[in-house]
Amino acid sequence: MKELAGRLTALDPDAGAAVRVIAYFDRLLETRAGLEALVRGAAVLAGCPARLADEKRGVHVRVDADGRRADDEEPADPAWLSAPLTPDGPPALWLEREGPAGVVDAMVLERAVASIRAVLDRTRGSAPVDAAGDQAFVEVLLDASASETARLHAARRLGLRPGVPARAVALAGGQALIQSVPPSGAAPPPGDPRAGVGPAVRLLDLPASWSAALVALRLTAEGTEQDPGPRLVRADQMGGLAVLAAAIGPGSDPIPDVHALDRAAAAAPWMLAMLDAVASQSSLRTAATALHLHHSTLQDRLAHAEQVLGWSVHGPQGRLRLQLALALRRLHHHAPAAAAVSDRPG
Amino acid sequence: MTTPSSPPHDDRLSPPPFDPELAAALAIMAESIPSSLLPEMIPALQGGAVLMRPSDDDLRRGGAFEIEERTMPGPEGAPAISLLICRPAGVTGPIPALYNIHGGGMVMGDNRTGIEGILEMAQELGLAVVSVEYRLAPEHPHPAPVEDCYAGLVWTAEHAEEIGVDRDRIVVGGGSAGGGLSAAVALLARDRGGPSLAGQLLACPMLDDRNDTVSSLQMAGLGVWDRTSNDTGWTALLGERRGGPDVSPYAAPARAEDLSGLPPAFIDVGSAETFRDEDVAYATRIWQAGGQAELHVWPGGFHGFDIMVPQAAISQAARAARIDWLRRLLTR
Repeated sequence: MKELAGRLTALDPDAGAAVRVIAYFDRLLETRAGLEALVRGAAVLAGCPARLADEKRGVHVRVDADGRRADDEEPADPAWLSAPLTPDGPPALWLEREGPAGVVDAMVLERAVASIRAVLDRTRGSAPVDAAGDQAFVEVLLDASASETARLHAARRLGLRPGVPARAVALAGGQALIQSVPPSGAAPPPGDPRAGVGPAVRLLDLPASWSAALVALRLTAEGTEQDPGPRLVRADQMGGLAVLAAAIGPGSDPIPDVHALDRAAAAAPWMLAMLDAVASQSSLRTAATALHLHHSTLQDRLAHAEQVLGWSVHGPQGRLRLQLALALRRLHHHAPAAAAVSDRPG
Repeated sequence: MTTPSSPPHDDRLSPPPFDPELAAALAIMAESIPSSLLPEMIPALQGGAVLMRPSDDDLRRGGAFEIEERTMPGPEGAPAISLLICRPAGVTGPIPALYNIHGGGMVMGDNRTGIEGILEMAQELGLAVVSVEYRLAPEHPHPAPVEDCYAGLVWTAEHAEEIGVDRDRIVVGGGSAGGGLSAAVALLARDRGGPSLAGQLLACPMLDDRNDTVSSLQMAGLGVWDRTSNDTGWTALLGERRGGPDVSPYAAPARAEDLSGLPPAFIDVGSAETFRDEDVAYATRIWQAGGQAELHVWPGGFHGFDIMVPQAAISQAARAARIDWLRRLLTR
């Protein structure tokens, strides 16, 4: 008497079973059953675990074939039977069994998904689609002074799963982005924006990840001739540069080496890009390759640059001095208070 | 103001709604489980048309239990009875036991009916299970069923050492008719100075032959084991005495005038079933008599919901409550 799945498959597969599946989910909907009951219905009627994952709404429910709630963090197997919540959306409901789907499986998926969609629309509203709405949740999540409850609620609305680490990404222009680590649902930023990437942390520590991401953003560059350098900097690779960044505030006076770089930039359009390549490449030969220059041409230009700068960049110490000067120049161009809202090129 | 014992004269009583998951499952099962059991349906049901009988291998649960069927003398002047004894494999020393009395409306089932759920619980708690085979109505009316059950209990207590059971930790229990018989056996043990029981587990017990509570009227024709079925079962057991003035409390424990001096009781029942009011009343009367009882009324549960729809959230909760009670009772 207890195996609903067995009872169903024993019925006439074409008519009887399908009618009963429809009746089962209709009944759950009529009585305003919740999401877990619907996912349990799918699991019990199909006789295998079922899972619902709606990343946009942050809904995750998994129920085993015995009807027990059994959430896990494992990704869904693409070979499992699945159905999307919207016709062209990603899979949202899985029966943890490989195909091909029998008549009962197919009917269970169809009716369960239709019922789940109805309950989601009733209880959670439509999925957040407008970026402005999402941005409000991001701001709460990154605000260390917001209550933990509010931040966790915001995390759920952003589709972040408790227990899965995430990182804050600071984009040039002031926009913030939250990504699960490893990235799952969060879409990568369009194009190739200048970005500082915070370390992966637990959800409640995201304000700290955000602070680090803002520092990393100050060390990025446009990647142009006048502002050469990396467009993306990871906070967990900054090392001591983070200390340097903290020392440079909006009112700090640039040291003479930074003025020297500005003089060099004014002397020739190729100057800064060349110095950045020399500072960041492992040898002059690879720097020449990166700059599409003949090795001897680079040597000639470098001699000119060293005259303008006033120090040699051939030795390790001179290269460190150059690296620090370039980093300081970026930090002055991206002052901390303005870093999040300024899209000023460097 | 109406009370369970004085139903209003209104045949349009609205029943409590079923739990959503139970209602949906009932929609699938309805065809094979009629709400009303009529006397003419008993022979077919006794033939095993509905109740599946688990095999010895099913009972062993992959080697977790050793099973044995023992035959012993029955009540005086009556045929022998048999007990199905399931012991956790490889466990020595006296362990607690559940003395199980199966359900089936007094008219069907055997000592393996519903035993798989009992064994699952016993495995979790490290209990032995002793399940009694008793004679069924209407071929064997009262007192045959309850006397068989009592004789099996007395044998179990007297042979506790032989079967590795701690005679001070025997709980009598069962569901539906088995719950009613368990309550009756507890009364008999008290009144005859029989085995001292550690507890009585009464799952949706069938206690009152009068069959006239508000819940029995509310659920007429609905759910599982409705008023008509109940009438069929009690009439099979008691014949024309059913509902009359001289029904023994050992047949219908709700008739007992004194509910004091009984072992701690666990009583559960669905809010949407015939037995709701008589079971709630039984718990209340145990408290009023100074006894100990734990009562659970599961909202929207129909009769036997936890057995028939074990996956539902409410069924999981009902099972967990029974296991909790047994654990507290037997480990203190």
